[in-house]
Amino acid sequence: MKKIFHYILLLTPAVYLSACNKQLGKLPDNRAVITNVDQVTQLLTSAYPHAIYAPFTEPMSDNSEDKGAAPATADPESYQINSQAYRFQDVTTVRFDSPTAYWDSCYRAIATANLALTYCNGPDSANFAAQKGEALVCRAYAHFMLVCLFAKPYNPSTAATDLGIPYVTAPQTSVFQKYTRGTVASVYANIESDLTRGLALIQDKIYGTAPKFHFTQQAAHAFASRFYLFKGDYNQVIAHSSAVFGTADPATLIRDQVTLYNTLQYQQLTVNYVSSTNNANILLQEAQSNYFDNYASYRYGYGLGTYNNVINGGNVTHGSYAVITYGATPQVFNFPKWSPYNVGPASNNIRYGLFPLFSMEEVLMNRAEAYAWVGNYDAAVADLNAWVSKNINNYNPATNNVSVASADAWYQTPDNISLILAALDFKRVTYMQEGLRWFDNIRLGFTIYRFAGSDFNTLVDSISPSDKRRVLQLPAEAVAAGLELNPR
Amino acid sequence: MRLARLTAFFLLVLGLYVSGQPTGQAVAVHVTDDNGQPLAGITVQIKGTPRKYVTNAAGELTINNVPPGAVLIFTGVNVEEMEMAVGGKTELTTRLKTKVAALEDAVVTGFQRIDRKKFTGAAVTIKADSIKIDGVNDISRMLEGRAAGVSIQNVSGTFGTAPKVRIRGATSISGENKPLWVIDGVVLEDIVNVSNEQLTSGDASTLLGSSVAGLNINDVETFDILKDASAAALYGARAMNGVIVITTKKGKAGVPRVNYTGTFGLQLRPSYSTYDIMNSADQMSVNAEMERKFNLFYPTMVNAQNSGVYGELGKLLQTPNANGIFAVQNTPEARQAWLMKYANVNTDWFKLLFKNSVNQTHSLSISSGNEKATTYLSTSYYNDPGWTVADNVKSYTITLNQTYTPSNRLTFGFLVGGNVRQQQISGTENRSTDPVIGVYSRDFDINPFTYALTTTRTLPAFNDDGSYNFSTRNYTPFNILYELKNNSTHLNVLDGKIQGRLSYKITPFLSYDFIGGLRYAKTTEEHNVLDNSNEANAYRSGDPNYPGYTSIINENNKFLYQDPTLPFNQAVSVLPYGGFYKRTDRTLSNYSVRNQLNFNQSFDDRKHQITALLGQEYISTNRQTSSDVGVGYQWNTGGTPFVDYVYFKQLTQTNGVYYGMLNEYNRNAAYYANVQYTYNNRYTIMGTARTDGSNLMGNTTRNRYLPTWTVAGVWNVDQEKFMEPLQAVISHLMLKSSYGLNASIGNAINSTTILKSAITNRQYQSDQQTAINIQDLQNLDLTWEKKYEFNVGTDIGLWNDRVNLIVDYYRRRSFDLVGLVRTAGIGGEVNQFANYANMNSHGLDISLTGKILQERDYGITSTFNFGWNITKITNLRNNPNIWSLVGEGGGAQQGFPVRGLFSIANRGLDPYYGFPLFLNDSGIVSPQVNLSSLNTSHLKYEGPSDPTITGGWSNTFRYGAFSLNMLITYQAGNKIRLRPVYTSIYSDLDALPNEFKRRFELPGDQKLTNIPSVQMFSQAGYILQQESAFPYNNYNYSSDRVADGGFVRLKAATFSYQLPSQLLAKAGMKSGSLSVVANNLWLIYSDSRLHGQDPEFYATGGAALPVNKQVTVALRLGL
Repeated sequence: MKKIFHYILLLTPAVYLSACNKQLGKLPDNRAVITNVDQVTQLLTSAYPHAIYAPFTEPMSDNSEDKGAAPATADPESYQINSQAYRFQDVTTVRFDSPTAYWDSCYRAIATANLALTYCNGPDSANFAAQKGEALVCRAYAHFMLVCLFAKPYNPSTAATDLGIPYVTAPQTSVFQKYTRGTVASVYANIESDLTRGLALIQDKIYGTAPKFHFTQQAAHAFASRFYLFKGDYNQVIAHSSAVFGTADPATLIRDQVTLYNTLQYQQLTVNYVSSTNNANILLQEAQSNYFDNYASYRYGYGLGTYNNVINGGNVTHGSYAVITYGATPQVFNFPKWSPYNVGPASNNIRYGLFPLFSMEEVLMNRAEAYAWVGNYDAAVADLNAWVSKNINNYNPATNNVSVASADAWYQTPDNISLILAALDFKRVTYMQEGLRWFDNIRLGFTIYRFAGSDFNTLVDSISPSDKRRVLQLPAEAVAAGLELNPR
Repeated sequence: MRLARLTAFFLLVLGLYVSGQPTGQAVAVHVTDDNGQPLAGITVQIKGTPRKYVTNAAGELTINNVPPGAVLIFTGVNVEEMEMAVGGKTELTTRLKTKVAALEDAVVTGFQRIDRKKFTGAAVTIKADSIKIDGVNDISRMLEGRAAGVSIQNVSGTFGTAPKVRIRGATSISGENKPLWVIDGVVLEDIVNVSNEQLTSGDASTLLGSSVAGLNINDVETFDILKDASAAALYGARAMNGVIVITTKKGKAGVPRVNYTGTFGLQLRPSYSTYDIMNSADQMSVNAEMERKFNLFYPTMVNAQNSGVYGELGKLLQTPNANGIFAVQNTPEARQAWLMKYANVNTDWFKLLFKNSVNQTHSLSISSGNEKATTYLSTSYYNDPGWTVADNVKSYTITLNQTYTPSNRLTFGFLVGGNVRQQQISGTENRSTDPVIGVYSRDFDINPFTYALTTTRTLPAFNDDGSYNFSTRNYTPFNILYELKNNSTHLNVLDGKIQGRLSYKITPFLSYDFIGGLRYAKTTEEHNVLDNSNEANAYRSGDPNYPGYTSIINENNKFLYQDPTLPFNQAVSVLPYGGFYKRTDRTLSNYSVRNQLNFNQSFDDRKHQITALLGQEYISTNRQTSSDVGVGYQWNTGGTPFVDYVYFKQLTQTNGVYYGMLNEYNRNAAYYANVQYTYNNRYTIMGTARTDGSNLMGNTTRNRYLPTWTVAGVWNVDQEKFMEPLQAVISHLMLKSSYGLNASIGNAINSTTILKSAITNRQYQSDQQTAINIQDLQNLDLTWEKKYEFNVGTDIGLWNDRVNLIVDYYRRRSFDLVGLVRTAGIGGEVNQFANYANMNSHGLDISLTGKILQERDYGITSTFNFGWNITKITNLRNNPNIWSLVGEGGGAQQGFPVRGLFSIANRGLDPYYGFPLFLNDSGIVSPQVNLSSLNTSHLKYEGPSDPTITGGWSNTFRYGAFSLNMLITYQAGNKIRLRPVYTSIYSDLDALPNEFKRRFELPGDQKLTNIPSVQMFSQAGYILQQESAFPYNNYNYSSDRVADGGFVRLKAATFSYQLPSQLLAKAGMKSGSLSVVANNLWLIYSDSRLHGQDPEFYATGGAALPVNKQVTVALRLGL
């Protein structure tokens, strides 16, 4: 009896040892465990930046002017982002709407894409092809937006030495991991590689009922259109833009602003602009921001000067733009674009809005510009007029349509430049208050002028293309990750 | 004594060989204690024979057939063993000495009982009876000031909330820093994981924060506080913050003993005299200045979210009665006259919201048994009708502890315990944190204490006709007394456990121990928001179908629902009828098993003593939290829910959830071994090793196991030959030292990537998708938080232990500490947990006990405890921003204590507008400070936010049947931030401190005062806005708003009287006493800047209330 007892005692630890390892493998909470392809699709829903650049790129761009004191109700932190961005100071806050928050959000998207890719490269990789395609394009997109904002614009002659941004291709496993910035050229090469590989794999069928929130074939081509425009590869721009339109006439895809502004009221316009049922929207994402509520009232933004010079001061079509500037005073001039909503309990007041990452007008103007660059003026003019037909009040092709001659006459520049300027102007009008103008400002090296007030006369500052302040500063913590900050 | 026992053993063995029984006579034995009271249950053994007898209730016993030369051995619990020769007498009377409480002979670690002379660690053993404070309901609070190095901060006094307990200071920067509680060898798991920091949150879950709230103090025999690595070694990777072992009472052989304890505590209502709050006249004069500066603008206050008398005035000026007459004419004189009424209101919110109520406890225990089986049964009832008008609590406990000794080889027993609690507090929502700037807010906070402290005394509670006077909160009528009746949180706790233990002697030197525990606890938290409460009506105000509708309220009330697809429609209520029934259920199921082999052998006439043990432990804990919101519950009309689909429409559009459920699983397995060798009762060395395994690191085997170890030794100097001449002075002297590693699992569990599913935050349901988010990135380097500790100590007894001094010095090196690191975000997550910090600490624990006078009829005993602890962060791979360092609890910064409190440096007031100026993050004097700046070099370091010195001084005076105990507790060395009261815009509901009278009013005042002005809304406001400056908010975090946290407090004064034995005997009682206890009555010293405010208490609202002043009468009777 005693012996048996001893044996039992001796055996217990052995039994426990094996049992323990099994018990200690128990997950500590109900976290998600990815086991199938549908879950990878769900993971990729988070592989998009859920932050917007407009709160800082719009005030930096030449759309903005000093409108004078803002109403006291303006959210102080986004007010500060607005003022610092306008003055080309480094934005101090790291809250949502700040450049750092956008940086963080892009890298979050990249990390998600990289994690998804680890599931796509398994033995069953054939079944994960579509997911792999989306992941690669997501990764390329987030890196592309970062390199545009946090590095110098692509310049073939200096890109190989210009500092880039870390191109992350594998999930991080250590908090104190070191990264390198690479060069603008290497980042562009990586983006191109991911984009072209991804584009070949994308299948729209995996996106279920919300394709507008994913890189469909169309969205990926729209992204390629923008990417090659920055890279200066205009034939690719034309090819990818055309792929976006397919066989459809671009004029039927863009927003019919004349009809919209004539038939819809303010709130309806806001809902329509960012709706996933709006055909002009190619890719939408949701983002937390106070911009959607406050964009009209910031001190630095769209005011009387821009209104007089850009919107209402005459244009190449000799017609008037259909879009209407709302706002009782120039202090709160705005276009009805945003339809913010609460997320979570009302008392938390966490504001989200939908933000278009790609829409048809941009692709159309990209193509028009590319045609102009490669000398295909007829095609460029056709694209410009597709836009004109939906954006000019009382559109009359005979009087409003742009031609090489009318553009030259209006802009007083050589043929291709005139058409390019027309495309840029149309884009500017379309995307006023969306922050997109800044990307054209840096891509083409516009000098940004700052005036005292809205009169556009008394120049107080000019930021030349070589000004170091045009490249946004990396988060302060980047130094700890082994990165070099942008020169100031 | 040990020698005596040994001799007895040998004689016993010898006696077995003696053949035949010599004849003898009958001897009557009478046993009493020191005071002559009869002692029952004393074992009397005839030396050298196995013959044992037990005295009866009267302490009497008659033994037949006693050899004339026999020697009797008297043994019993709590008495010193004695031998007495019969010497032919037929009647023997003996007095047995009660064991001296201060010198416990053994330390209970929960794994073993170790002779104190051989115990190498730093531990304090406290008898529960000696620290019991009647009227205090949580036993952890009783440890305050009782043990050197144990700091107890009463951050909230609400029943069920835990005090902040720290043993030898903090070991971790972000972790829990709270000790492990162990009851009779079984780890007491928390029902909810509330970290030391979260204890101050005021959320309803803090009411479950105290692990020991369900324990009846009368059931506790001793506390053993294990402080250093050696003492807590066998707890390995859970013992980084020390261990408190509770040993509960067990039954005693002998006649049944019945004990009753009843306490009646009168809780004293707080008063304005101890708080620095303006009376209504002063407040009105400040309001008048705010009015002049357009800070209180009654025309717009008609539709303001929150307003008091100014809002009322605005309404009266706008709404004529049926005859077209306005209640107040819109002339300066008429307005002035109307407002002046309120200058004399002087509402006493404390009087209205608090009451002098009496709480009571009744506790009954029965102990009985014989040599083979003993039973201890106890039950208690606690009832507190509530210090405030909103709270009350009832708590019941039951304990049954049985021990069986069927043979001298086998012992086993069961402990069955349970407690039930029914508690009500004011309705509480959880506080939410702004993750960016860390500001806390709580919706619908109706905490009575916070309300009294922050609400203006100009606001009347009642109208002249006795009806409730309503102010406005959330655009909705609000009266605190009415609201407290209509909005309450109810907590029910059901907690039951069974523990089993078995001990089997395999051979005389080898034994096997088993301890197993099973516990199940279920708590229900119900938040009842009645139909007419402000919280429910806030969901209706501004609805077009609801009285009081205005378009402004409709537009601004965030609780209304605006359908995004119908932008022209007005916002509507999602709660047209009824209120809310919000419920959170928590369950804990926990079991643990421990198997242990003990070896105990001595050689060469006990010259060499070896004990060793080898064991295995497994603990499994499951926690489930589920919550849901019952919407539209019609409390007033039969309880039928009125559910409006719009509520759910809004919920889905705002990505809200109406119910949730969370499971947590914790598995812990460990193996351990311990060897101890003692030479000649002089030198002991000890070594312990343990390996813990935990599932918290996720399904990776990396870092799943963690080995810990300790080595230690003790030298009993008094046993040395050379000490013999000094024996008269130095009765005992021990030197001990230990060094070891222990650990704890940090609050990071992302060794693998943690993914969480979510619903996308999109506006329309048609666009929504299920998403999976990365919640935490993988961190392969993640490991346990660890700590090396070196301890050296001495234990000295002088003049026959009349004076006892224990001094311990320790150095600790914590490393691999987990904290949240702000990274560049390139990996995809900005704030990540990492083992990023190291911290050193050292300190001194001193305990001095003196029996200053010790006579038969009177005596004075004094115990002084002193704990000193200094922490310093030696390495921190994170750059904190300003905000994380200036908040109420301070923050971590390399080169500073675990939580250093920093301040924005003041630079006076602006000479023209009177707003405060600071030395800002760029090093320039400005009203603007960027709180998220990483440049913290211009901050002023104030001091640690944890006290560096804590302790207590206890004095007992005894005279005859009377005794008086005074416990004074103290802490020092820390700084605390004053309550934030400054803001750029005050409402007419705010109560301001009296220092506001010294505020800047005119240019030039900046030379005389540092109290900022009331902000000029238009001019100064514009200037500040230009600079994005928030000087009034910054002022709350400046060095002008810091006070010293040190205090000296008369924690308790107890006056007791032993009832006379004749009286008791007449009533058939054996013992009885009556005592009066004054709790917390006198804060002897605290910083004058606190104006009497409790330096320990965090007024965070919600469920938090300060520890109250109380006078308790206690009656103890023994049958």
